[in-house]
Amino acid sequence: MAKSQDIKRRIRSVEKTRQITRTMEMVATSKLKKMSDLVHAARPYSERLGEVIGRLTDPELRERYPLLRQPETARRAAVLLLTSNRGLAGAFNVNLIREARQLMQRLRKDGTEVELHVVGKKGIGYFRFQGVEMASRRMDVPDRREPEHAAELVDELRERFAAEALDAVYVVYAQYRSALSTPPRTLKVLPVEPPQEKADEAAGSRAAEANYILSPGADAILNELLPLYVRNSVYRALVETAAAEQGARRTAMKNATDNAGDILDNLRRTYNRARQAQITQEIAEIVGGAAALE
Amino acid sequence: MAAQRLSVALITAQSTVYEGEADMVVAPAWDGELGILRGHAPLMALLGSGEMRITRGGAEERFFVAGGFLQVADDVVSVLSETAEKR
Repeated sequence: MAKSQDIKRRIRSVEKTRQITRTMEMVATSKLKKMSDLVHAARPYSERLGEVIGRLTDPELRERYPLLRQPETARRAAVLLLTSNRGLAGAFNVNLIREARQLMQRLRKDGTEVELHVVGKKGIGYFRFQGVEMASRRMDVPDRREPEHAAELVDELRERFAAEALDAVYVVYAQYRSALSTPPRTLKVLPVEPPQEKADEAAGSRAAEANYILSPGADAILNELLPLYVRNSVYRALVETAAAEQGARRTAMKNATDNAGDILDNLRRTYNRARQAQITQEIAEIVGGAAALE
Repeated sequence: MAAQRLSVALITAQSTVYEGEADMVVAPAWDGELGILRGHAPLMALLGSGEMRITRGGAEERFFVAGGFLQVADDVVSVLSETAEKR
């Protein structure tokens, strides 16, 4: 009797868990929709911005712009790691943290001093536990990312890069390829590297021949656009990470729901078997008892 | 008939605010208002903040933009701005 009661209790518990994971899956699905809309809405802007900058930059300019300078050896670099504030998203945060650690290892091997900036509770928690020093920690970036958040994160780094206090700035984020594929990526935001194929195309084809009227002039335009470009790169990383988080969570919760279903099937089978065995035994006892009376 | 009009796109980091055809675009360039008609020479200009007007067949749509960048090439006008709002 006791055994079947235990199983019944477990069945109820797993059913409740499955209810929760199923709900979380649905919540993530609806958030994912919103976030991926943001990712798609952000694309035209950054594509055109990259195009224009690719068109305006040529190698000779590299020396003159603080944001384009290419240090030969990087003495000091900043790594900005984007993680989520909430868990239950499978290996999402673990993957990001691993990517960041590998990047830092690689940089340190080349003799670069690395400072780490972390966004998101999960990343902060990990590095605090490991006793790794963090140059800045932020947990207050909401799910709905605005360009201002990117500005807050990167403007200071950009100024320090321009002042040559930093030689490189990397962002580790989750690329949103699709809801199912959200690999961690490293993006070098500084020094600015204009999209290469665009620059080649501009150098050779009609764009260069078009002879743009530049108002107020290539210098001033680049001065204005480069910071925008840097900020936009970080903004894109932010929205992609937000969408990727929901995608990863949906997948994780779907798996959890499916697994709970499998466990329930097994438990129900065991329960029925136990119940049957008990009934059989009771019948056997009754029959045995009746036989003893005759 | 295709090239009878300018094709205009007003894009911010978060969304495409306007996309369509127009007869004339007036944008607040960094040094004063800038009007663009069909057949304008290729141009790249920085924007200041102010009102941007897009005219099409007598109807006019107005937007507020703050900073950003305007590009004209082959009767295609692209405006990139961090802030742009329909008013």
